[in-house]
Order: sequence, then C-alpha cells, then structure tokens
Amino acid sequence: MENENKDCPVETIESLTKEAESLKKKLEDERQKLNDVTLATAADRLDIINYMNIKPRRTLKGHQAKVLCSDWSPDKRHIVSSSQDGKMIIWDAFTTNKEHAVTMPTTWVMACAYAPSGNLVACGYIIRDITFKTFCVQGIIFPFRGLDNKVTVYPLSLEEDVSLKKKTVGTHTSYMSCCIFPNSDQQILTGSGDSTCALWDVESGQLLQSFHGHSADVMSIDLAPSETGNTFVSGSCDKMVLIWDMRSGQCVQSFEGHESDVNSVKFHPSGDAVATGSDDATCRLFDLRADKEVAMYSKESIIFGVNSVDFSVSGRLLFAGYNDYTVNVWDTLKCVRVCLLYGHENRVSCLQVSPDGTALSTGSWDYTLRLG
Amino acid sequence: MCPRSLSDTALMDMVVSNLQQQRLVTEQLRREAAIKRMPVSLAVKDIIKYITEHEQDDCLLVGFSSQRVNPFREKTPCAVL
Repeated sequence: MENENKDCPVETIESLTKEAESLKKKLEDERQKLNDVTLATAADRLDIINYMNIKPRRTLKGHQAKVLCSDWSPDKRHIVSSSQDGKMIIWDAFTTNKEHAVTMPTTWVMACAYAPSGNLVACGYIIRDITFKTFCVQGIIFPFRGLDNKVTVYPLSLEEDVSLKKKTVGTHTSYMSCCIFPNSDQQILTGSGDSTCALWDVESGQLLQSFHGHSADVMSIDLAPSETGNTFVSGSCDKMVLIWDMRSGQCVQSFEGHESDVNSVKFHPSGDAVATGSDDATCRLFDLRADKEVAMYSKESIIFGVNSVDFSVSGRLLFAGYNDYTVNVWDTLKCVRVCLLYGHENRVSCLQVSPDGTALSTGSWDYTLRLG
Repeated sequence: MCPRSLSDTALMDMVVSNLQQQRLVTEQLRREAAIKRMPVSLAVKDIIKYITEHEQDDCLLVGFSSQRVNPFREKTPCAVL
C-alpha cells in the first residue's frame, strides 16, 4: 500500500484533516490544469440569437396566495401548481380552466410534481406537530385521472373525492422543499430542509435510500435525462451542488462556487452539465465531465436572487426567474442575456419549459401563473 | 459543562464520532480526487455539438414551422357571421 493508506489503523482527526486539505488542493490544481478555454470563446463562431418566440399567451388565475411550485404534466397540456393558500390546482394550460383543486390540511404547499404516467401528482407541505416545536412535512400522493382518461364523470364533490384517495408516503424531519418521480410512478425522490434527500417506495411508503452530504436545507433536485436515470443533482443552502448515485446513495461529485443559497438545479438536456440559480444573483453551468464550473450568467445590473431555472429543449436558452419579478433569458453558450421578460407583479418563484419545449410556464408570489 | 453529564465514556463517544465524521469527509474527497476529468475544451465542444444538433427543434428559440403546430395559438375568430 502507498504511504497515504499505511496509516489506516492509526487514523487521527489530525491526519485525516491534513489529508483532506491536501486532497482539496490537489482537486483544485487538477481542475485548473484542464481549464484550457472558456465556453464563450469556444462558442465564438456561432450566430447570435436574434429571434425569440416568447410572448405572453395565457394567465392562470385562481390561487389566493403565493404560487410556490408548479410542474407540467407529461401530456404537455396540464399543469399542477401549489400555493401558500393550501391548495393544489390542476390546470388545463390550453383553456386556462381549473380541472381539480385539492385543499391541503395546511398552507405552504412547498412542492408538487406529476408522475411520469400523468395519473399521479405528489406534493409536500408543512404541518406543525402536536408539540408545536418542530415542523414536519409529509409527502402526499394523489391518484389523479385527467380528462383524457376514459373514466368520464366525477361527481361534483370531486374535491373531497380526490382527497380521500390521498396516500402518505414519506415523512422528513423538516419541511419537504422539492420532489420528483424518478422514471416511474413507483418511486418518489424528495429534498428536505433536514439537509437530506430521500428515495421512497410509493406503494409501501418505505424509505429506500437516503442521501446525506449537504449541511443545510436542500432546495432543489433534478434527475439526469437518461433512460437509466440513476443520477440526480441537488442544490442547497450550504451553497453546494452535489451529484448523486441513486442506487448506492453516494455523492459522486460536488461543485462549489456559488456565494449564497442554491435555489434551483437543472440538468442540461445533454445530461453532461447542470445549471444552477442562486441567491447570489447568478446562474452557473457546471460540467460533469470537466468536473468544474464552465460558465456564469450574471450582469452587474442584476442584483436579485434567482429562484428557478430551466433550459429550452436544445439547451441553448436558460430561463431564470428572479426576486425582482423578472425572467432573464440567457444564451448558455455565448453567456449573454438575450431577453428580459416582464409581467409578474411579484417574485417569480418557479418556472418550467413544457415537455415538448413549446411553452414556458412561470409561477409567482403575485398569485398567478403565466404561460409564454 | 456539567462533569456528571459529560462522563468519560460520553467524551470518548464524542471523540469517536468526530473522528468518524472527519473520516467520511476525507473518504469523500479521496473518491472525488480519483475521478477522471476531461479538458474543458473537449467538454464544451460536446455541449455545443448537442445544442447545434437540436436547435432546429427548439420552438422557443426558432419558433414554429407553422402556427398549426403551436398548441397555444390564438383561435382564429369565426369569419362567417
């Protein structure tokens, strides 16, 4: 065995700390050595973007308080949204009709997500436990049938009907900030204020895997866009972005650079990079194979935090929703802003490109969702 | 600290748990230091390639080939009244 491993039986905190320091330095040196070009220079020969197909198309009104989260259905037509009014609403984005409204036992419905089949939606909300000391969050799964389903008519008491079918899956020791269904309706992956992520079995409610590595609230998670889909990314208030192996539960890569909370993470459609949005008013692009930050999207005039990011289907555009009520559209390659979208009258809390890439949905603290 | 609440064994436990924690941190760094990296130039070349190959299908970037394929198009008002 080499020198470094010889000391296994006599590992002390001092020796371990010393080794950690030298490993960190080695990592940084290694990354710098391979940092031979900037993304903007490499993209120099490409045409600039002079056309943008975004204009206000729909406004979804119905929530009575801040919209906190939203998700497109795989059918590219419906949207689920959750709000501080304690409601989860399922919208028909084409007609702007509300198709279902489900009342939660509490306000602050932080997270919601569609399952791949389009027949389930999940949400996470905060409830205070009886001791009134800790906040606890339960993930709830609602079986949900869209209009396109053959089951035609629901009774008028639809609201209660859907609620009765609810099923509690998992419980974190702090609030659940985000959730996604990885690949099937059978499992759900959640991120939590208790600084962990967790993978649950929907049917049994059993915890399949937990992911420890962050030292503060996990704010956002996203799944790598591959069929095998065993990799996901998480962003946290510890300013870190971590890449995880879902099967082993191990963190395989970590990216630092942000100077404040990381509120949003999103895989590039190629699967080789992740974009992030942070309270430090920047978005960044981290490349998994170069193992480092390859781009930063910021301007001196932009001083407000980013709550949510998403790519257009090619990955050329990065949409980012800010606390100053705006959405900035970035050219991911040339690293310049191509467009600024106004419209919302309060913070943009969530945004997402529809699965077929034809529309952008944004949700805001102004109680509305907008489609462009 | 109350000496009674922090007995020798409790103190020992703390030392052990700190050691375990530091071991986890170092082991994590060992794994990350061992991964293969590629030069940024090669990595970004692939990103640019992916994007240029998919740009023509990106409706938000290049628009719709015709308004018929736009699911959010405004309904044309009825012309026959």
